[in-house]
Formats: sequence, C-alpha cells, structure tokens
Amino acid sequence: MLKNTTIGSVMVVGGGITGMQSALDLADAGYFVYLVERSGAIGGAMAQLDKTFPTNDCSM
Amino acid sequence: MTLCEVTDVTGSAGDFTVTVKEQPRYVDMDKCIACGECAAKCPKKVDDEYNAGTGKRKAVYVKYAQAVPLKYQIDPDACIWLNKPGRCGACAKVCPSGAINFDDTEKIHEIEVGSVILAPGFECFDPGGTEVFGYGNYPNVITSMQLERYLSASGPTEGHLIRPSDGKPVRKMAFLQCVGSRDENLCGNGYCSSVCCMYAIKEAVIAKDHAPGLQTSIFYMDMRTHGKEFDEYYQRAKDESGVRFVRCRVGGVEPQGKDGDLRLHYVNERGRQIEEYFDLVVLSVGLETPKQVLELADKMDIRLTPHNFAAVSSFSPVTTSLPGVFTGGAFSGPKDIPHSVTEGSAAAAAVADILAPARFELAREKTFPPERDILNEELRIGVFVCHCGSNIAGYVDVEDVANYAATLPGVSHVERNLFTCSQDTQELMVQVIKENKLNRIVVAACTPRTHEPLFHETIRSAGLNEYLFEMANIRNQNSWVHTGDKVAATQKAKDLTRMAVAKVAWQGPLENVSVPITRRALIIGGGIAGMSSALNLARQGFPVDLIEKSAVLGGNALHLHTTWAGEHIALKLDSIVRDVATNKLITVHPETEVVAAEGYIGNFKTTVRDGSNRRSTIQHGVAVIATGATRLMPDEYGYRDHKEVVSALEFDKLKEVNDFHVRNSSSFVFIQCVGSREGERNYCSKVCCTHSVQSAIELKKENTSRQVYILYRDMRTYGQREVLYKQAREMGVVFINYDLHGKPEVNKSESGFEVTVWDHVLHRPLLIRADMIVLAAAIIPSVGAKKLANLYKVPIDKHGFFQEAHAKLRPVDFATDGLFVAGTAHYPKPIDETIAQALAASARAATLLARDEITLDGIKAEVDPDNCDGCALCVDVCPYHAITLIENVDNAGEAHKLVEINTAHCKGCGLCQGTCPKRGIAVSGFTYQQLESQIEAALAV
Amino acid sequence: MNFEPKIIAFCCNWCSYAAADLAGTSRMQYPPNIRIIRVMCSGMVHPEMILSALNQGADGIMVLG
Repeated sequence: MLKNTTIGSVMVVGGGITGMQSALDLADAGYFVYLVERSGAIGGAMAQLDKTFPTNDCSM
Repeated sequence: MTLCEVTDVTGSAGDFTVTVKEQPRYVDMDKCIACGECAAKCPKKVDDEYNAGTGKRKAVYVKYAQAVPLKYQIDPDACIWLNKPGRCGACAKVCPSGAINFDDTEKIHEIEVGSVILAPGFECFDPGGTEVFGYGNYPNVITSMQLERYLSASGPTEGHLIRPSDGKPVRKMAFLQCVGSRDENLCGNGYCSSVCCMYAIKEAVIAKDHAPGLQTSIFYMDMRTHGKEFDEYYQRAKDESGVRFVRCRVGGVEPQGKDGDLRLHYVNERGRQIEEYFDLVVLSVGLETPKQVLELADKMDIRLTPHNFAAVSSFSPVTTSLPGVFTGGAFSGPKDIPHSVTEGSAAAAAVADILAPARFELAREKTFPPERDILNEELRIGVFVCHCGSNIAGYVDVEDVANYAATLPGVSHVERNLFTCSQDTQELMVQVIKENKLNRIVVAACTPRTHEPLFHETIRSAGLNEYLFEMANIRNQNSWVHTGDKVAATQKAKDLTRMAVAKVAWQGPLENVSVPITRRALIIGGGIAGMSSALNLARQGFPVDLIEKSAVLGGNALHLHTTWAGEHIALKLDSIVRDVATNKLITVHPETEVVAAEGYIGNFKTTVRDGSNRRSTIQHGVAVIATGATRLMPDEYGYRDHKEVVSALEFDKLKEVNDFHVRNSSSFVFIQCVGSREGERNYCSKVCCTHSVQSAIELKKENTSRQVYILYRDMRTYGQREVLYKQAREMGVVFINYDLHGKPEVNKSESGFEVTVWDHVLHRPLLIRADMIVLAAAIIPSVGAKKLANLYKVPIDKHGFFQEAHAKLRPVDFATDGLFVAGTAHYPKPIDETIAQALAASARAATLLARDEITLDGIKAEVDPDNCDGCALCVDVCPYHAITLIENVDNAGEAHKLVEINTAHCKGCGLCQGTCPKRGIAVSGFTYQQLESQIEAALAV
Repeated sequence: MNFEPKIIAFCCNWCSYAAADLAGTSRMQYPPNIRIIRVMCSGMVHPEMILSALNQGADGIMVLG
C-alpha cells in the first residue's frame, strides 16, 4: 500500500487540546509537524473554559 | 500556522499534498510585541467570539490575554481602514515596532506530508436559530458557554455573576440539560453530548463560589456522570454545595414581569405541575461538528456517522475511513477533555504506525558551539535592559536603570535595547558577549517563564553555559503594575536588577543531565489494552515484553460479544492475538507475574516469575500497566441463591449456548448499578447501561413477545450510544427508574420471581413477574493492582484504580516518568476507549523510545557532602523518590552516612532544601547562597 | 511619617510567580513595595531564609505556592 517514499511529516488540523497533544507527541517522537489552526491562536474550546473539574483548576 | 484552513488534500497514505489557505493577519508576527497599544487606540468595537458574544473586543485584538502566539490580529470585517482605506489607521500610527501591515494578503501553501490528523473539534449547538426556551428573545436566557465567560476572571464581568438584562446580582439560577442533544425534533441531534451533565454541575458549583447564597437547580433527564471521579463530584455538588437536581423535562420558559425574571413550568417527580421563578436560565448546549468541517470531510471523502461525526471502528478509534488520515477529539463523537487528550496521543501513535520508517528524516536539532570554560575567569557580568517599546520605557526611566546597573559589583558591560528579544538583538548579544568576554548575563525585561529559553539559546550560541543567566522581571512584575508611579517603578526596576546581578554572581555552569534509554518496552497485562499497546510499539520498531498472568491472551474481551456499534469482538480479538503471537518484536510471557521492580525513566529493571517459578530480569526503558479489572460477585437480589439470577456476563454466555433458562423465559428484568454508585464504591462502571440495553434489544429481536424491563438509576448511554437506548424503547423495552433509597426487591415466587419497584411515572409500586433477572455487576479493580502499585511506586485511587498524573491533561502518564497506564486498570471503560488509551500510552512511550538518550534540565538538587550528615529528613519529603541514604567510607576508613540524588528522578523542586537542617542539600540555580544574596540585595537600600 | 514597608515574596515558578506575571498582563495595579524572589516550589523556602530576611529588615514575608 505505502509508496517507497514515506514522508516523515504530519499535518495536524486543529489547534485545540487534541491537536496540540498529537503535535507534541509526534514532534517528540521525531516527526516534523505542521499544526494548522483556523483562528488567530491555538488553545481551542478549553481556553474558553473558566475552571475545570475535579480540582476546579484554572484551565489555562 | 494560525489563521489557516485546509482546503484540499490529495495523494495517499505516506505522501499527501495538503492545500492550506492562510488568511492575512495584517500584523507582522515577527515585529508584534503584544504591547496592546494598537487595541487601546482602535476605535472600533465588535462582539467578542472568545467571550461567546458576552463582551466586546476591538477590531485589532488578541483572541485572549494568554493566547499563543501572543500576537495581535486585525479583523478584516470590522477594521475601518481595511474597509475604507485612509479613514483610520490609528493602530499603525501608535505601533512602536511598525508591525501593522494593511497590505497583508491571503496566502496559499501546498505542503507535503506523510499523514494527516483531523482534530477540528466541535462547536456549541446554537439555540438562537429556533429560539429554544426563548434564547435570543429573553436576555436572561444564556448558554453554558456564555456562563463560562461570565464566571471567568478574564470574562466580561470579571467573574461577577449578574443578569445580562439589568446587571442585578443573580440569586436563583436554573440549568436546562440536553439543549441540542437527545432531541431529534428540535435540532436533529439524537445523540447525547456526553459532557454537559458534568459541565453543568461544575458551573453550578463554581457559580455558588462566585455568588454566596446563590441557589442553583439542574433540570435533567439522566445524570450522566460516568467518568472517573465524576459521581463523587456529583455527590459533593448535592451534599456540600447544595446544588438542587430535578429529574424532569422543563415545559417552557416565559418572562415574568418587566424586570427580566423568568418563569419555568415543569412536572416534578411527584407528578405535580410546578411553576418556579428564576433570575437566570442557562441552556446546557450540546456539541456539534462545525459546518466547515463537514465540508472538508465531504471534500476528502471521509465517511461520517448519521450524527455527522467521523465514522471510526471501536477497534481503531482514531482511524478515519481514508487511509493515512486519523482523527481525535470531538470530531469522532462528543467527548470530554481527558478522552480528547488521550485520543490526541492515540492519533500520534496511529500515525507513527505508518510513518515509522521516516522517523527523524525531517526533524532537525540545532547545534551550538563548544562551551567556554569560565571557572577561572573573574566575574564579568553583562546587563541588558529592555525598553520593550514603551512597555517598560513608558513607565520606568530605563536610562537611569542602565546607569545604575553599571555601578553594581561585577558588572562590566551594560546595554539598552528597544526589544531585547528581537532577532537582531539576539545576534548583537552574541557579539557583545564574545567581544567583552562576558561570563554572566542578566536581562532586565519581561518574565523568565516565557523568555528564558530564548536567552538560554542565545548565550549558548555565544559559547556560554546556558545557566549563567538571570532575568529581572521589570515588565510583568513592575512597569505594567505600577503604571502611575514612575519614580517608584524605576526604583523597583533598579532593585530587581540588583537582585538578579547578586544572584547570577553565584551561578556556576550547570550540566544538563543526559539519561540513556533502553529502547525496549515492558507491558504488563495481555488484555486488549496491553496487546494494542504492544502491537503499536512493535510496529514502530520497538521490542516489547508482554507479561500476562494467565495462560492465554485476551483478558476480559474473551467474555465480550459485540461493541456498542455492533462489531464482533471475538473475531477481532482472534486476529489481534494472532498478530501479537507472530510479531517478531513482541515476546509474550504467559503465566508470568512481576515480583520486583527498580530503576527510573529509560532504565527500569523488572523481575518476573513464570509458571514454573523461574525468575528472570527484564531491562526496559518504559512500562505500560494494563492489568485490567474484574467484576464484582453480587450478594444481593438473590444472586447467590438462584440460578436464574445471573450477572450480565453470565447471561451472555447462557444466551450464546442457547441455555433453556433463557430460551424458555418470557419475562426478563435487568437491574442496573449492582454494586456501583453506592456506599464506598461511588463510581459508575460506565459500560453496563449500554450492555444491558444491547442485551434487551437482542432478546426483543429474537422474540418480540418477550417482556423486557430495565430498572436503572440514570440511563448512561452516552454519546452516540444514545441510539441504542432509543431503539430499545421503540422496540418496547420497558425502562423504569429507581432511586438508591428505593432499590428494587426480588422475591422468589412459585412461577419465577416477583420484582417490586417504585414507578415514578405512575407514582405507585409496581410488581413485575420475571423468569430471569440479570444483574449489571460493578467493575472492580483487579486483585494484583495494589501490589503492582507498590512495586512501581505509583499511586492508586481510593477505589483501587491506578491514578494518572493529571486528571485532565496527562490521562495516560504516571507522575513517575517512563510509566504509563491504559485500559480498565485506570477506570472502567468500553473497548474503543481502552484501545484509544492503549495507543496513547504507546505514543507517550515512543516519545522516549525514539531516542538513545533524553536530556533533562540541569536544575537539580545537589548534595554538599561536607554538610550532609545523613539524617535523611529529606528522603521522605521528596515527592519523586529521588533521594537515597548511602554510606561513604573516607580515606581514613571511616564510614559516613549521607544522601545521594538520582538526577533522573529529581525535578528540582527543592523540598529537600527547605527541609534540610544542615544546609547539606540545595537545588542548583537556587542555592541558599543565591537566595540569600537576593534577599540581601532586595533589602540593601 | 510615611511608612513604606519592604515585603519579600517567595513565589513558586509554576503558580504564584505565573500569577504575578498575569497580574502584569492584565495591568492590575498594586503597591510597589513587594520584591519577588522566584523559587521552583514554595517548599524550597527554608525557614532560615525567612528569618534571614526579617533580620535584614524586611517588614513582611510572603511564601506563595
């Protein structure tokens, strides 16, 4: 299935908590990552939340 | 890449070409210093989408104060200049770094990649379209996201809870659940959004903190708090915070009077029609896939479920229908933060599965010149004072600070820079350091939390050890907080600079700790979690030892039939077991148990004992604990007395072999939460509601004349599992809700059983005749969990499940580096979530195994052998178990006790330093000497 | 007499020091009498450090973490 030339880079679409985690793990494992985000800053929906369960930690 | 959108993807797995459209920002990212002058002067205000429309922002703005990248952008729809050139341009005039660029244009990028991960997230259901409960008409009906913003200190009211209509403090607030979820008539969203019950409870609790005396009520159908520690939080909300929970569907919301009060009417649990008044009504809105994501999915030909989420298999929960394209988070179904983070890692693992041959092909690491030896040099401190445009210089006499710095002892060179962090200044700094042979550097500017890594790199480029550096925080902690008092701010800037100079004078070079990695994984547990994790790591090229205490692989999955989506488990399990057995990189150790473990990240040694009592030692760099869970043997409802009262798994078996009890029964009663959500075991076993509903559907499918009852407390068919619940109801399965204090009673009768339960709809006790009773027995931790936790020094929670490092952000890591958890050992969960977590554990493990060694920073505790007398007070306080007591024999042959640091474990927190009575241990970079010299310098004048 | 106290604050790098930074980002105003010393954890602050600061004339100590 795979061609002989596998490209060692990945595009992650979405700079929310999921996309950021994917990007970090891939970069740490030796892949070049393009993290593409629609808005002007990463963070996604979690950045809008005031505090999170269970410790009521600030979500920042 | 921000302001970017994928418009097209062509090619195939391993070799995609992605077209990305970049919207113009109109602000030069390299020049913008986020000082905010532009927004201060911008005359145009518009609704702020970050605040969910509750507040305003300017046409030039940052999304939020802590945004990354912290760079301003111009909203082309709102900007006056961009709509009528020449009319405004205020921002360009005031920008101190000339970053505004009205001529910025849209750019198209074509990028070649081996794989794509789609994690586009969700958007909240918009109740405005259909004016649900008067949203849009009545100002005091708001969405849950808007409430988040009202409650936030960074929100429009700085956390004060007031009514939007008249600014009056809110005294009574109602949450209406399932708005835009579990409701096909209103919005076509038949699924459950999974997260709203929990966020409503959280918001209700937090709101009470913000407004003492506030009454909060949550109107709900089923309380779906099925995640780890969720039920305990729910209980605390009821008992400690006094949140009221009302099980009913609210009929309507109408305005009462002209002040903005709202009247709710509903039928309460006793069947009475009630009217109640509230200040504020919060709609707990559900999650949907955004429209532009649907368009992209359509273009890429990615298959979706009927609910518009990415279609995935339970066995490959992050793999889309298009080979080489993976997903995670809310795109494959509504889910919470930890589950999304898990899938983020899992998608990374799935990508690595196919791209492993190209690892390190494109990623590059920076090289630095050799370090200059400064140990014998006299002190030559260089101080760089930053203007930060006008951010510092506007409130502090920077020239005065610089002149003062030059008089400080040890300082041999002082500079001022407009922006010390800019690229050209970095090059200048390198030059200045070299020319003046500087050997300690102080930058008086912003905060080390954001800028220290940059300057570390800069001084490394100048041949200095990166730790010969200190920052004086004269912006965030000075100029910005004392804007009205230039004299005091200037004096404080001098003090802070003096403190930094005094500290850095005592700083010596530190070495980053390098730890070699044994590139081999140990996986404990040969169930579906352990095997999935093992296979993924092996496919990435890492050898794996897989330990299973029984004689066969498969774990609990051996007893399961189909996933919630109806996929056959036994078939898939067979092929997974075969893959594991034939994979040359995986060594399976059946009938084997762990008996001892030692070591640290990259260098673990685990001793195991096999069935014939032989011991052997395995060296490994990482370990995944996937020991699974087991089920409770109930001692109620006559389980131990009657063979017609069975647990769910036993029922499945009987049904499979066409047992006559099942064949001949005409009436079945399923009782939920047997052993779960009561007493000490106050957690939800998560899988039983779906399991019972599936069994009920099967029974009805075989013979529609069968009577099937499900007695439940809250029906937790979360996410897209909700379709099963609906299907069962349509097929005539009878669902009866019971309370913990009104549990069903089971009595043996001549013809079978009589089950008595209180019916909340009819408001009288109900007698059900039953032939078979199926108990949804709780999932409980496996027997060996506690022992294993002790061996690896990892925590378990009070129920006996393994405790991850962070409930939200590190769902598969243990606090101890190099150890990971997956599957039901962590908490009860279905197969898809188990596999996602197993893949996530592999991804996290691979970030370590991909390297020969890892570098840890040099901020570590160091023992002073002259002062340490081996009292060992520090040993117990160390949260990372990094300190051990040893004995040294000196030249005279005398033995001395002292402690030793394992630098791989040490995180440099310094609890040891704070505890030591003899100054025998201190953290490099924060020694007693350094802290004392800072104190002295702070109080010197 | 104008009394201007000198206060030493030991702030944890991960929480209170970050909070002090955020106070700046949000332009919150407070009196300029505080001198913050960054530590990697408030547990690092030895009681001797506190005594030493008081000895040298500090009017108040805050350990924030």
